[in-house]
Amino acid sequence: MTQRILLTGNGAAAWGARLARSDYIPAFPITPQTEIIESIAAWVEQGEMDARLVTLESEHSMVTAAGAAAATGVRVFSATSSQGLLYAMEMLYTVAGWRAPFVLVNVSRGLSAPITLEPDHNDILAARDSGFLQLHCATCQEVLDSVLLAFRLAEDRRIRLPVIVNLDGFYLSFTREPVNLPDLGSVDSFLPPFDPENIRFRASAPISQAVAVLGGSPYSYFRYETHLAALHGLGVYDEIACDFARTFGRRHPAVESYRMDDAQWAFVMIGSFATKAREAVDRLREIGWRIGLIRPRLLRPFPVSTLRHLCSGLRGAAVIDQNLSIGFGGVLHGELCAALYGETKAPRTLVSFIGGLGGRDISDEEFFEMAAVVRRAADAGQTPAPRLLYTEDELRELRTLQAVAHSERNDLGARSKTT
Amino acid sequence: MNDTAFRRMKDLPSTHLLGTGTPMCAGCGGLEALHQIYDVLGERTVFVNAAGCMTLLSVYPFTPFRGSWLYAAMASAPAGAQGIRDALDILLAHGRIRTEDDLQPVVLTGDGAAYGMGLSATSGAIERNLDFLYICYDNEGYGNTGQQYSAATPHAARTSTSRGVHGYAGEKKDLFAIWAAHRPAYVATVVGAEPLDLARKVETAKRLTGPRLIIALAPCPTGWDFDPQDAVAIGKLAVKTGIWPLKEYRDGQIRHTKMPHPRLPVEGYLKRQGRFAHLFAPQRNEKLLREIQSGVDRYWQQLEGIRAAPGGGGACT
Amino acid sequence: MGSNEKIYRIRFHGRGGQGMKTASRILGTAFFLSGFEIQDAPRYGAERRGAPIFAYVRAARSPINERGIIRRPDLVVVADDTLLPIPAAGVLAGVDEHTILLLSSDVRAAEWVDRIRFPGQLILLPKLGETEDPPGLRFLGATCAGAAARLAGPVARDCLEASIHMEAGPLGAAALAENLSRALAAYDAMASHAGCVQPATATSADDYIAPRWVDLPFEQASVSAPAIHGTLTSALSKTGLWRTLRPVIDYARCKRCWWVCSTFCPDGAIQVDSAGQPGIDYEHCKGCMVCVAQCPPHAIEAVTERGSQAEEAS
Repeated sequence: MTQRILLTGNGAAAWGARLARSDYIPAFPITPQTEIIESIAAWVEQGEMDARLVTLESEHSMVTAAGAAAATGVRVFSATSSQGLLYAMEMLYTVAGWRAPFVLVNVSRGLSAPITLEPDHNDILAARDSGFLQLHCATCQEVLDSVLLAFRLAEDRRIRLPVIVNLDGFYLSFTREPVNLPDLGSVDSFLPPFDPENIRFRASAPISQAVAVLGGSPYSYFRYETHLAALHGLGVYDEIACDFARTFGRRHPAVESYRMDDAQWAFVMIGSFATKAREAVDRLREIGWRIGLIRPRLLRPFPVSTLRHLCSGLRGAAVIDQNLSIGFGGVLHGELCAALYGETKAPRTLVSFIGGLGGRDISDEEFFEMAAVVRRAADAGQTPAPRLLYTEDELRELRTLQAVAHSERNDLGARSKTT
Repeated sequence: MNDTAFRRMKDLPSTHLLGTGTPMCAGCGGLEALHQIYDVLGERTVFVNAAGCMTLLSVYPFTPFRGSWLYAAMASAPAGAQGIRDALDILLAHGRIRTEDDLQPVVLTGDGAAYGMGLSATSGAIERNLDFLYICYDNEGYGNTGQQYSAATPHAARTSTSRGVHGYAGEKKDLFAIWAAHRPAYVATVVGAEPLDLARKVETAKRLTGPRLIIALAPCPTGWDFDPQDAVAIGKLAVKTGIWPLKEYRDGQIRHTKMPHPRLPVEGYLKRQGRFAHLFAPQRNEKLLREIQSGVDRYWQQLEGIRAAPGGGGACT
Repeated sequence: MGSNEKIYRIRFHGRGGQGMKTASRILGTAFFLSGFEIQDAPRYGAERRGAPIFAYVRAARSPINERGIIRRPDLVVVADDTLLPIPAAGVLAGVDEHTILLLSSDVRAAEWVDRIRFPGQLILLPKLGETEDPPGLRFLGATCAGAAARLAGPVARDCLEASIHMEAGPLGAAALAENLSRALAAYDAMASHAGCVQPATATSADDYIAPRWVDLPFEQASVSAPAIHGTLTSALSKTGLWRTLRPVIDYARCKRCWWVCSTFCPDGAIQVDSAGQPGIDYEHCKGCMVCVAQCPPHAIEAVTERGSQAEEAS
């Protein structure tokens, strides 16, 4: 029987791993993820979860062990964050290439330097091209549900790729919300045991996995097949999400579209801050705006055709990136532009906003103002330069910090101006 | 040694398990050791490999193994063995595989991974008491990239990043001591040129459980600059000059398995390798030759000292 | 659309170790058991025990889309009145006329309103047996949660009770009983103010103060790299604010041994003058009491910070 309880995002992730009957949890602590492995460790110790948890000596080794165990044919769950994900980066690419299916939860946290604890999406987006599929969560319920969806997706014979489930540090990881805890029987019916088919280590059926290739031709074949499997994930995800909705009554489409039916305007963003955008949509609708929210949950594979469809006919959109590709700008903005290029009914105005870096909040007023900026831009037919959400007050506070740090004061502040 | 199947050379396997056709260099001392090791270990193994020369053992679609193989990455092969061992244990515990389907994970890395990048992962695997075997083929340099010096390169050796008249300024890291300091089930040094000693040690390792680690000196015609036909001779000289002590660690004790009597001067070993040619021509570098010889002398004198001391019996120092 | 519903926004302020996370969880669970959707979260920083921290609860009849720290609180609960004068603690951030401030203090409410120029209604939380020492503080969270539940209104007493069973049950029977009695006593004590908290209306998209965004100026790495060019700037952090207990040296008993207290003080907050007399830097002493424990002639005494401050004020 379904229970409704209060769980943090971390607690929801741990419950997902437990309900999925994960066999093996290679682990390494890092804030703000640690509560996940602590919860699982306690369950394993108390005999409430029949799994083996092993703490490795680094995330690099953790992901190696995860991939190797998945390549041996058990169900593997692991979790990390930020620097840990980057420390494991070599192995993310590697184990995806092995076609080793498992689920890795990443609790997003800004990257060093300067080192910080609070969230943004540069960590997870650094893994964008690794071959891991990516699910991005906005609520604690979604975290639990996504872990279950992710196992089905990863282990599907047509896919067989690892999947990252992403949740924002603090805003989800340490925040409790009501979560429906499905009963184990329903989870079992949704998620059958992992069948590794012919890719697993057995004495009776020797196999050489992850071997070298010489030359670009076989390399191209193996890599592109991995890409095709990921693209296949779009259709497979839809199937799985339908099955999930049938089993549990909750719908998690690849792209959340909120009040988009008659929309002329939209916010486009991923992650937990997107619920703030929902709130702003409601407020703006109250005063007559035809505005909605487009939130990709599935970021890899990138749901291009759904996004094209949702954006078709819009006058403009604010693309809010909680990340920064240094020397380029917002990753989601770039990807959306690429997806919409050449579409006849694509919005002419896609304004790029960079906000929420390192956990910096985005206020209601800022959402309203972003909408206003988009409308002005569409009316004027000119798209403004990307905008960092950063206020005069913040800069003033930064200047006082710089004074303490004895930065060259003469160089400070003279040229800052408001818009 | 009494219960060994390998009492004399004729006891060594006459048919070999490792396949031919690999891209290793002709005369490779590492491959020589590996095929001897494989004969003893057998095919119920899964080799977990780190970046190095032997990564090319399995190049799609060719593999020389009768058992299984996984290429991991340079730093984390022991973690790969961890994942496989744990997964097999889980499957066995739940009866999801038959016991006959169990496999022994064998980490296979060069000295670059073993002495450097992978040392943290090895240390972690040993402290977790992982039941695995680690084989390091030690050719004393980053061989697969053209023999740059590594933490395993001996003093004064010329490498492609130490081409000067003095060769490599550093000293070879004592990986045996580092591994033994973790107090694993077993540590041993071997060389393919001493196959009986090698076979007995692999036999011992195979019978034990827990972390078991073996360093195989791998005379390398390409990196050390000698004629491939000399590979075995150079391996034997490494033992006879005392520069490569054959020993094993078990239950807190170190035992030397082959004492070089009489111990030959190291010059005989050095002279046959181009990587030490600068010590002899255009003129002899007495200082460096003395340094190398005295380093070897010190090792064996210390050992004699320990053995001679009251109560001394080769305790782990 | 859930967002049209009223959302209760409640912030708990205290010091690390005073149970503010517990308070937010007890109140969050109590709302949840009363049929509300909720969000509760502690706000961790790099700070440690004694440092100002806060936690918050949102509760509404339908799903909550707001996230992150509460900017415009309906109710601010302050477990430790010594935090009020500290700007960095942010206790009064975003308060306005509609905000209720529930304060645990011995000082009269009118005096506080005057002192901090608080625009809304200030209610004192009666002292219910809390002490300054850590064992007594363990239950402060339950007290605050109980009082807050009553002020908010829609949390029934039995839901509060059930919540405490869930949140404090794992701590053992004695701790549970203590938490229960504190929380329920605080709940009952607030009867005259029951339901006084009024959820603020949502910010209007029609009439809002536009953010004053700024274009960051380009600055070279010599300025814009995260480097501190000075030294000892950490002394600007007045970690003395973390302290709830204060070590006081009785110079009549001090033997001028000069090294014990000063060497063992982890923060280097005890300096010794040329005569061998130690002096405590109260701006930075965190109140760990290592000096009190180590002083050979027992010449250092622990006194409550609140008492010391009152004495200094008079």
